[in-house]
Amino acid sequence: MATTASAPPATPQLKGVQPLRAGEGNSFLWRRLHSLTGIVPIGAFLIEHIVSNFEVVNGPLAYAQQVKFLNGLPLVRVLEWGLIFIPLLYHALYGVFIAVRGRTNVNVYPWAGNWMYLSQRVTGLIAFAYILYHVLTQRFMGVSLPEHPGLAYAKVQFELLSHWYAIPVYVIAMIATCWHFAYGIWLFAAKWGITPGNVARRRFGWVCTIGGAVLCIMGLVSIFTVAYSRPYSPEDVMPAQYDNVVAPTVPPQQ
Amino acid sequence: MPTTIEVEIKRQNGPDGTGAVENFSIPYRPNMNITSLLGEIALNPVTKEGKATTPITYDSNCLEEICGSCAMLINGKARMACSALVDKMLEEGGGKIKLAPLSKFPVVRDLAVDRAVLFENLKKVKAWVPIDGTYDLGAGPKQAPQIQEERYPLSNCISCTICMEVCPQFNDVTNFVGAATIGQAKLFNMDPSGSVLKEERLRALSGDGGVQECGFAQNCVQACPKGLPLTEAISDIGRDVFVQKVKDFFRA
Amino acid sequence: MAAATPRIIVVGGGLAGLSAVIKIAEAGGKVDLFSIVPVKRSHSVCAQGGINSAKNLKGEGDTPFKHFDDTIYGGDFLANQTPVKAMCEQGPAIIDLLDRMGVPFNRTPEGLLDFRRFGGTLYHRTAFAGATTGQQLLYALDEQVRRFESEGKVQKYEGWEFLSAILDTKGACRGIVAMNLRSMELKTFPADAIIICTGGNGAIFGKSTNSVVCTGSAQAALYQQGAYYANGEFIQVHPTAIPGEDKLRLMSESARGEGGRVWVPKDRNDKRQPNSIPETERWYFLEEWYPKYGNLVPRDVATRAIHKVVYEHGMGLDGQPMVYLDVSHLAPERQHKLEGILEIYEKFVGDDPRKVPMKIFPGMHYTMGGLWVDFNQMTNIPGVFAAGEADYSIHGANRLGANSLLSCIYGGFVAGPKAMEYAKGLEPQQGDGGHAAELIRQQQYNNILLNNQGTENPFQIWRELGDTMTRHATIIRYNAGLREADQKIVELIERYKKINLSDKSQWANTSFAFARQLYNMLQLARVIVQGAELRDESRGAHYKPDFPERNDEKFLKTTKALYDDNSDAPKFEWEDVDISHIKPRPRRYDATA
Repeated sequence: MATTASAPPATPQLKGVQPLRAGEGNSFLWRRLHSLTGIVPIGAFLIEHIVSNFEVVNGPLAYAQQVKFLNGLPLVRVLEWGLIFIPLLYHALYGVFIAVRGRTNVNVYPWAGNWMYLSQRVTGLIAFAYILYHVLTQRFMGVSLPEHPGLAYAKVQFELLSHWYAIPVYVIAMIATCWHFAYGIWLFAAKWGITPGNVARRRFGWVCTIGGAVLCIMGLVSIFTVAYSRPYSPEDVMPAQYDNVVAPTVPPQQ
Repeated sequence: MPTTIEVEIKRQNGPDGTGAVENFSIPYRPNMNITSLLGEIALNPVTKEGKATTPITYDSNCLEEICGSCAMLINGKARMACSALVDKMLEEGGGKIKLAPLSKFPVVRDLAVDRAVLFENLKKVKAWVPIDGTYDLGAGPKQAPQIQEERYPLSNCISCTICMEVCPQFNDVTNFVGAATIGQAKLFNMDPSGSVLKEERLRALSGDGGVQECGFAQNCVQACPKGLPLTEAISDIGRDVFVQKVKDFFRA
Repeated sequence: MAAATPRIIVVGGGLAGLSAVIKIAEAGGKVDLFSIVPVKRSHSVCAQGGINSAKNLKGEGDTPFKHFDDTIYGGDFLANQTPVKAMCEQGPAIIDLLDRMGVPFNRTPEGLLDFRRFGGTLYHRTAFAGATTGQQLLYALDEQVRRFESEGKVQKYEGWEFLSAILDTKGACRGIVAMNLRSMELKTFPADAIIICTGGNGAIFGKSTNSVVCTGSAQAALYQQGAYYANGEFIQVHPTAIPGEDKLRLMSESARGEGGRVWVPKDRNDKRQPNSIPETERWYFLEEWYPKYGNLVPRDVATRAIHKVVYEHGMGLDGQPMVYLDVSHLAPERQHKLEGILEIYEKFVGDDPRKVPMKIFPGMHYTMGGLWVDFNQMTNIPGVFAAGEADYSIHGANRLGANSLLSCIYGGFVAGPKAMEYAKGLEPQQGDGGHAAELIRQQQYNNILLNNQGTENPFQIWRELGDTMTRHATIIRYNAGLREADQKIVELIERYKKINLSDKSQWANTSFAFARQLYNMLQLARVIVQGAELRDESRGAHYKPDFPERNDEKFLKTTKALYDDNSDAPKFEWEDVDISHIKPRPRRYDATA
């Protein structure tokens, strides 16, 4: 009854969100790495990819030459894995990890930044699903383009025309990816303290919007060019390259 | 002009208690705010259906939006109850006002929640100037008015935790520290004497739940009742923490 | 022989309490800090305009002695001069300390502290951080205390309410009984000395500029335990408050310090928008009546002037009890220095005061009276100290603007070390020092309150108390009205005994805690009205039209109320005022010389 307190009560256990684990853990490193990989190398690769693909407007041969050039880079397989696949996989998986830990609330707070927060997660997930599919079908299935660059145009064209949903999927994915990349650069600049002020962020927002739009338009133009600018022809436009190889049918029989 | 104010309040009799919604019908008077509405209920704690109930438990103190006590969800959104005017809230809520406790903090009772986590976080980032003592050591260092202009807005933080409540990243999975604490870290890093702890603050904020968890939804800066430049603080601290980590890496 | 480390309890976490805590922790004492609200939410945050100190950084020849003289003169010579002098002398060092703690005081282009003018002085003596100085000061001290807390030198008990002091058989304080406002549990806490820093008692007046916790409950509890309550009748009514439904919101004196002007249209039927009324058709009554001080006369003077314009001249805006406080003519840089308060006005009223004059009226603001203390800040109960608004010592019959923050910090800085000194010389307690008995007394009180089977609602009683007090015991006082108020309070105390709490639960029961405070408020209200009735003169904030002059012969005295158990009423004594430095002179702000 007469409860005379001599010792102060132990710090009560906090429920709910826990205090900062000051200086503990490595999540800062992993999160910053995620942010960085989005710009370099993934973002850089995305630009390269869209610019390279834009060669389709110059016809199958130009496109084939671009494919051949890229595959002729020294240590190309090391570059492909080290600068594309592994960073991409890390960025994607850690991105999913980030996305599932957020508690989006645009339904209550429908503000622009909050919508962008949600959009970055949605576009990231779309891009991830698409890229998985895209890499599997275009890089690891069907005719091997490193060996047959002359068939690049035809392979893509077949891909786009063989299913009714292919073009919508590519268009959505293109928009989502460019959106994710453009806003990602903006976020990078904001979070790394490159654009701390409101004015800087607003101005840089325009830069990112324009850059993203240009990329996206280039990508969409490439898609429609490949799909509709000329009739489908499964012909290797650079057959001379491979004297001893008989061009396989495109696509391979399932 | 309405003759009564319809209020729906989410109640809970304790931390583990069950929630129940009660409706009240309060006589309308012009220029009321939400705290005066809750005062009317205390004066006559009877629900709309005529059932006797208990006064609502909620935190409040200054009633002029400077003590930071009375944050709650009003029509679903986190706001200060004292500066939320009934006329505006009625208009927004379509003739009805809904009150609920903040959703990210443990409920104590009714609309009162436990926001101790913020004060713990302020300890973690050493949000103070480590003065030698309170004896007379003469004037402090000179400070350009521009520095004061930049520090003063951050110093206006009332610890209401609305920036944390509205943040999609502030939750019990990320244990994100929230914008308020990051703002205070910047405030003290900018102080000529407070900056002596700058490195410690930055290292603290690189820990799990630190500045990196920010998803830049910018809800904090939208919702802050005092208009603190929170995103700017997050941006600056984000850069400073990175630089600190790089320095530490090469010094280690 | 005393314990090796003195153990001090500080009740209240505003500026005074935190100042005391810092001094004790710094001196190696153990401190337990009790506060109803998290200390960062204490009422000190509401102070707006600034803090006075004669730093003389504007080349005006200001000195601490002039500050001292202004304070004594502003307080109508009722304050004991020795502590006031000490406070004014320490002023510059306190400002320097706060500056070192990182308070974002406004700066001059050279990077020095900027000072603004305030009421009751002709000097630029008020250091300020925008228009939220109290908030900034409180935070600076809160941060220092948090630092001590993280070093284990301070234990905070936030969400605990002080109920009573524990007194041993010799009448010395040995601890406190406090109530946990969540679990409603009562507990005793041992201490060698306690410091009461619980602020003012605005809640007694219903609507005031004070915060919800400013009930005066702790002071009233100690008064009922035998502490003198001094100068209770001196209540400051701030001239410029925003009338509101739930409270009166302060509109800082700094608005006038930065050049704001008070006026009404010369034609009471003028229906024009204020901005379209030409200069010549506005009545700047303060400037006309007080040419030397203008809008910056002391608060009691400004308040009575506004009251007179509204009620005697019938010149209130639209017939309402309101006048204009105008800052719309100020340059944007000046308005910027008032940002915090202008935003508050805009939020609560809806008009932009940068463009339209504000509508204001006087409102109950500050408690000059409080627990009687000696020059060491100790009450007549050994071991019970008091500081800040809770004590009576600095402001006499009227407080000058921007002196309260200084007096809080000064009071805490004196009380802390003096409490340590006292504790070191304290004889060890005999037995349990009265802990068990006091705990039982408080538990019994709780049981009665919880099991009452009446019909009264505490909030209703409170509302009636507030109305009565505001009507009879604020700006203008008549003996008949004060007697009527006292009778009303007695009636309310009777009705209080029939309180039936609608909430009898024992978890975070705010109406229960409030009901406990209400009883103390009722007891203290009697001290205020009876003290006012007995003082047949006009001095500072205490104004009786029937006795319009100051009467030094009879009333240059501190009123001391002592609770009498048998009659359940205050008994009064009077004590001479220390006038050892400045001879009382007439207080005339309307003089031009």
